[in-house]
Amino acid sequence: MTDAPKMRPRAFRLDELSPGAARDFVLEERPDAFEAETALLIGDPGERATEEAQAQGFLRGGAFSWGGLLLSSLGGLAAFAFGLWLDQLVESLFARSTALGWIGVGLAALAILAFCALIAREALAIFRQRKVALLHKALALAHEADDRDAARAKIGELVALYHNRPALAGARAHLAELRGEIVDGRDLIDIAERQLMPALDSAARQEIAGAAKRVSLVAAISPRAMIDMIFVAAQALRLIRRISQIYGGRPGLLGAWRLARAVGAHLAITGGMALTDGLAQQIIGHGLAAKVSARLGEGVLNGTLTARIGLSAVSVCRPMPFAALKAPTLADVAPFLFGDKGKAESAKAQP
Amino acid sequence: MSALTDLFSEARNSAANVAEVLMRGRGLRLGVTGLSRAGKTVFITALAQHLTTLANVAAEGRKNPLPVFRLAAENRLQAGRLAPQPDDHVARFAFEDHLGALTGPDRHWPQSTRQISELRLRLDFERRAGFRQGPSSFTIDIVDYPGEWLLDLPLLEKSYADWSRETFEASAAAARAPLAADWRGFSVSLDPAGRADEALARQAAELFTAYLRAARAEAYSLSTLPPGRFLMPGDLEGSPALTFAPLPLPEGHAIASGTLAAMMERRYEAYKSHVVKPFFRDHFARLDRQIVLVDALSALNSGPAAMRDLQHALDEVLAAFRVGRGNPLTRFFQPKIDKILIAATKADHLHHLSHDRLEAILRQATARAISRSEFSGAKVDVIALAAVRATREAAVRRGRETLDAIVGTPLAGERLDGEVFDGKTEAAIFPGQLPADPALAFRGDGLALPESEAEVRFLRFRPPVPNFGGDGKPLPAPHIRLDRAFQFLFGDRLS
Repeated sequence: MTDAPKMRPRAFRLDELSPGAARDFVLEERPDAFEAETALLIGDPGERATEEAQAQGFLRGGAFSWGGLLLSSLGGLAAFAFGLWLDQLVESLFARSTALGWIGVGLAALAILAFCALIAREALAIFRQRKVALLHKALALAHEADDRDAARAKIGELVALYHNRPALAGARAHLAELRGEIVDGRDLIDIAERQLMPALDSAARQEIAGAAKRVSLVAAISPRAMIDMIFVAAQALRLIRRISQIYGGRPGLLGAWRLARAVGAHLAITGGMALTDGLAQQIIGHGLAAKVSARLGEGVLNGTLTARIGLSAVSVCRPMPFAALKAPTLADVAPFLFGDKGKAESAKAQP
Repeated sequence: MSALTDLFSEARNSAANVAEVLMRGRGLRLGVTGLSRAGKTVFITALAQHLTTLANVAAEGRKNPLPVFRLAAENRLQAGRLAPQPDDHVARFAFEDHLGALTGPDRHWPQSTRQISELRLRLDFERRAGFRQGPSSFTIDIVDYPGEWLLDLPLLEKSYADWSRETFEASAAAARAPLAADWRGFSVSLDPAGRADEALARQAAELFTAYLRAARAEAYSLSTLPPGRFLMPGDLEGSPALTFAPLPLPEGHAIASGTLAAMMERRYEAYKSHVVKPFFRDHFARLDRQIVLVDALSALNSGPAAMRDLQHALDEVLAAFRVGRGNPLTRFFQPKIDKILIAATKADHLHHLSHDRLEAILRQATARAISRSEFSGAKVDVIALAAVRATREAAVRRGRETLDAIVGTPLAGERLDGEVFDGKTEAAIFPGQLPADPALAFRGDGLALPESEAEVRFLRFRPPVPNFGGDGKPLPAPHIRLDRAFQFLFGDRLS
């Protein structure tokens, strides 16, 4: 376009035409680019919910609380008690025989080493989850402000997050190349999302669908309510851990707790605005299924619940907001719960 | 002696600053400047109008007009209002008058800045981050001053002889020589070593002022024209401090007392101590954030020589800022400007597809100054901005070609493409294309190019037809990237 012959400045009057006269040009109103941008920025309450949930789950600072103080002081006392007990044990072993004593010392040392390693791994896992949440926030901000420098830096971090995924090697190389070129911040983030995320998104979707299926099946056939409650809880926990892993998090034990808290917060926040998200379908589906059999109704309900937990987990674990790609809905991940209509929709969503 | 007075004035500054910070509470001083016609007044009017009406947006069911501004996006502003300003000896920014001009029945752009003025805004908002969360308030002191005054600041370092020589050299450049011919001719006839003569001094000053004024005229749109008060004398008009002019001093000339040169030198020094220094001390040295508005479009209209002149002026302006990242303690005693926004105003006068190019050109014009400021730790950003958006976008199709045009009402007397506008007719304008390579905008000697040679021609438009809210008060006009400017300038302090 720049090499085309230079077009001279031009003016076209738009005053009232005298009767019978006609203009020799056509004025086409265009949709306003700035309004479109504004709509883009305002229109996403889901993104705010995600950031809020992440802040509640992963980014909580070390705020003071009496409960925390109680736990830490009790923990300190327990550690002392344990140390004392260990000391006595080793001493009594030495009293019996020196060889036994040395074996005891060795075992204690191994136990302490393993404990330290576990702690380090937990800390690393929490650190990594925190990093993913911060990355999400920074990318959302850079996308919003169309900030080229921030986008470049953060896309670098994002690519580094997936450095050990062979399936994403092509996308990584392309992005590394693109980072040096002149691309607008927002476009760069959109490109990164289109390159990196679809594979991960579909893996997460499959996980959710699998879990929802298993849960509804077990609920429909389990002999006792207790069993399917435990099964649902275990499946939900497993599902959110899997999703976190898919998106590059490494949930440990404490990490899983934080993750669950973030997912819970997200469910609570989005619960209020889920009406658009097929809640009517849920209720109708549950109602119809319950008419056929109470068990079947329970199965459908448990399946939907699991799928919703999975969707929340996707929102809080994903290192970037849904911008270029559409966020999956309940009908996308669990079409079997909604019958043919859901299937048709999800087929449309994935050309 | 001079070191001692400097130390003394620094101490006084610090004391004044501490007193002010204690009185004010949380807040910042925002400097708004730009060479004349850059749109300072419109920017401040829009800023104040947006921030004072923002809290009602949700209640009135309007769409949030500032989505990038986090305070607005997160709906945390409870109230914004104008408050009495801290400095009683400075004029108040006539917000109501300017708003009236923009939205009155005969809508027109407000009168330009002639002097320094101030406006204080107080925002009540919810803090979300930091040590203390919950309700809080924040004060923004807006200081509006002509950018020409900034060009005076380098004079503080220059002697009369240096300044004379530089001014003569600048006026000999191809772009300026025809404008300066009268004054140069007269100056050459003067004898610096002759007797001091008030009539001669006044005539020289008048011719010199006429030259500056001609260079400032719209057709030329030159920018680097110190001393700034010659163009905006205010209450100093006719005083000796403004009645001097450069003289052609020979190299190594020793100025003897009683001569014309000695009189000129004394007045030059008086200008520095009575005009430049008080401005620096009382206003300029106390700013926390700064926005520099640049009317790149009229310089682009004029031609590459005007662009180079603008580049030089911006370089001088930005060199004047006391930049650097401060810590809370220095912020208390000696504020430094830690963020500078350079904004190309009137971005609504060209199609949004060209905004990136406009930003690139401005970035090129300020590249040196930006790297210098960033080196000292300040953040600098460049955006294309329109505080009030007077046009909308459309495409014009004639035959087989389609042009991306803007539609608005050009001001009376604007002319383009054989049309002369009367200020009532709407028109679709295709202003031409900015060069893809920003360096091209600075290459060449063109100045005050006629339309037939210019590659771009930006017309000025009338303000948009105002909308009124339920209470009969005007609603803020549409804008372009004003929210981004807000977020950059003070969004980080309102988190």
